[in-house]
Amino acid sequence: MAELLEVNGISVTFDGFKAINNLAFSIGYAELRAIIGPNGAGKTTFMDIVTGKTRPDEGSVLWGEKSISLLSKSESQIANLGIGRKFQKPTVFEDQSVRDNLMMALKAKRTPWAVLFHRGSDDETVRIEELATEIGLKDALDRRAGDLSHGQKQWLEIGMLLAQDPQLLLVDEPAAGMTVDERNKTTEILKRAAKTRAVVVVEHDMEFIRNLDCKVTCLHEGSVLAEGSLDFVTSNKDVIDVYLGR
Amino acid sequence: MNGLLTKFLLKNPSVLVFLGALALFTAFVSVGSEAFGWGFISTSFVKTLGKTLCFCLIAIAMDLVWGYCGILSLGHFAFFGLGGYMLGMWLMYARTEIIVQTAMSNEVIPPTDQEVIDAIGTQIFGVVGGSDFPMIWAFAHLFWVQLALVVLVPGILALVFGWLAFRSRVTGVYLSILTQAMTLALSLYLFQNDSGLRGNNGLSGLQNLPGLDDVSQDIVSMWFFWASAFALGLSYLLVKLITESKLGNIVRGIRDDEARVRFLGYNVEGYKLFVFVLTAIIAGIAGALYYPQAGIINPAEIAPIASIYLAVWVAIGGRGRIYGAVIGAAFVSLLSTWFTGGQAPDIPLGIYTIKWVDWWLVLLGLSFVIVTLYFPKGIGGLFDRLVRKGDA
Repeated sequence: MAELLEVNGISVTFDGFKAINNLAFSIGYAELRAIIGPNGAGKTTFMDIVTGKTRPDEGSVLWGEKSISLLSKSESQIANLGIGRKFQKPTVFEDQSVRDNLMMALKAKRTPWAVLFHRGSDDETVRIEELATEIGLKDALDRRAGDLSHGQKQWLEIGMLLAQDPQLLLVDEPAAGMTVDERNKTTEILKRAAKTRAVVVVEHDMEFIRNLDCKVTCLHEGSVLAEGSLDFVTSNKDVIDVYLGR
Repeated sequence: MNGLLTKFLLKNPSVLVFLGALALFTAFVSVGSEAFGWGFISTSFVKTLGKTLCFCLIAIAMDLVWGYCGILSLGHFAFFGLGGYMLGMWLMYARTEIIVQTAMSNEVIPPTDQEVIDAIGTQIFGVVGGSDFPMIWAFAHLFWVQLALVVLVPGILALVFGWLAFRSRVTGVYLSILTQAMTLALSLYLFQNDSGLRGNNGLSGLQNLPGLDDVSQDIVSMWFFWASAFALGLSYLLVKLITESKLGNIVRGIRDDEARVRFLGYNVEGYKLFVFVLTAIIAGIAGALYYPQAGIINPAEIAPIASIYLAVWVAIGGRGRIYGAVIGAAFVSLLSTWFTGGQAPDIPLGIYTIKWVDWWLVLLGLSFVIVTLYFPKGIGGLFDRLVRKGDA
């Protein structure tokens, strides 16, 4: 398969409301993509479908070279196939240290038995320190994740995504509530990640998306309204109508 | 493996402190017992202490499943009771067999095996108007099988129940209600005379070990006390090994944010099942040690309220810290014995006298509310604060 993820003709209805309507989407192996769209456009539902949290009423979701269908897989199976997800609200394990958070995410055997007898190897320690450096939390490794600032929690969650070593990262509003400096740093982290893997970013902030400098997909009422460069998309008449309200 | 254990103990000195305290306590009770020491601790109090250790053991299990994994099971006393029944069946069968054989040995014509079995059946099931052995007593004469069932029956029940519940993603208060329903159903079933476990009579005479009638209860009580202390120490170590490992991190992660753990690629249902079954097995072992000290087991023991008390002990002791569960179970159950045993002095208020036998539950309920509201970390939390102050 030429693309890493191919979504075709998916629809999903919640209590009569069509959250996703015949949506098609695809992304390549090393690509950065931004998804924009007004509230209720179906951005989060789209991620829910790809990660197995929501099942679509119809359509197909195919993954990787072997075109595996993701529709019959559980959340944990999909995660192990190589799809990582960052939630809108930063969700890290607040009671545990930054190191433990990263250790849990680190690619390794996931069965209870293997995990019970798991001993941290030197390789893993090195990898965790590399990741912590990448997300700027090297000095905070032994701090409680709950004591981190909002921005640091966002980075920790991105770090946990990278630790999983996924082929596709789905990142929901990574820059929400961040200062300008923090945003710039987040942009760098995401751009670097997209050199070796596919990264999909959902964001509202146009300035942030401009800095990502990538192809943009605009969703509206559950389907793709426009796709292309940011300038192309934002000059599209339909997009302007949707954003400004007809 | 030895090196790893040493390393673990060095990293977690609190385990050594706990095991040391338990060893000291055991030695103190041994020295004070009527059987092996000066006798300032009565045999009946040794039994109370031994039973308390069993409560501490099931409280450890409860803390692992609730305090660490976030599953508020209100049914763990069902597993405790089942463990007790499984060992109780052998105790009762084997002892009745000896009694029957002694009685029949005086007869002129030696009894056939079938006659002996029939006589045992009449002895055991006479109270419920029967004499035939139900299917579930098929292995009651085999000690090792019944001992295996102490672990297997609670384990398999937990496996089936947990698999059904977790697979359907039943969580939170709904799961708690389901576990209450499970223990209630089991208790109601066992209350029936044709359940095969003597209905509301339950199994009795469990304090008498078959073939050891010559050994006085003073000594038997100490044997069970030691066994309970040993099981408690071993389980404490095992549970600590789990909670301090990467598995412990995952389990705490499931408690705090189940969905996140799932998206990290862990099969959350499998982990919950692992913890649920393991704790059911610990509960079963605790029950098997408890009921020979209590002497009798009946279906009232696994009524829903028992499992709720268990949650109260752990909440008062402090969730998410294993020693807290032990402190809570020991403190509250001993206090309960004191208040309901009629030893606590009644308080005359002129027109009304507070009789603790009746008012103890009110006091317990109040302290539960106060602890939940003002000391969510329980007694263990106060302990933590003292230790931290000591450091500073």
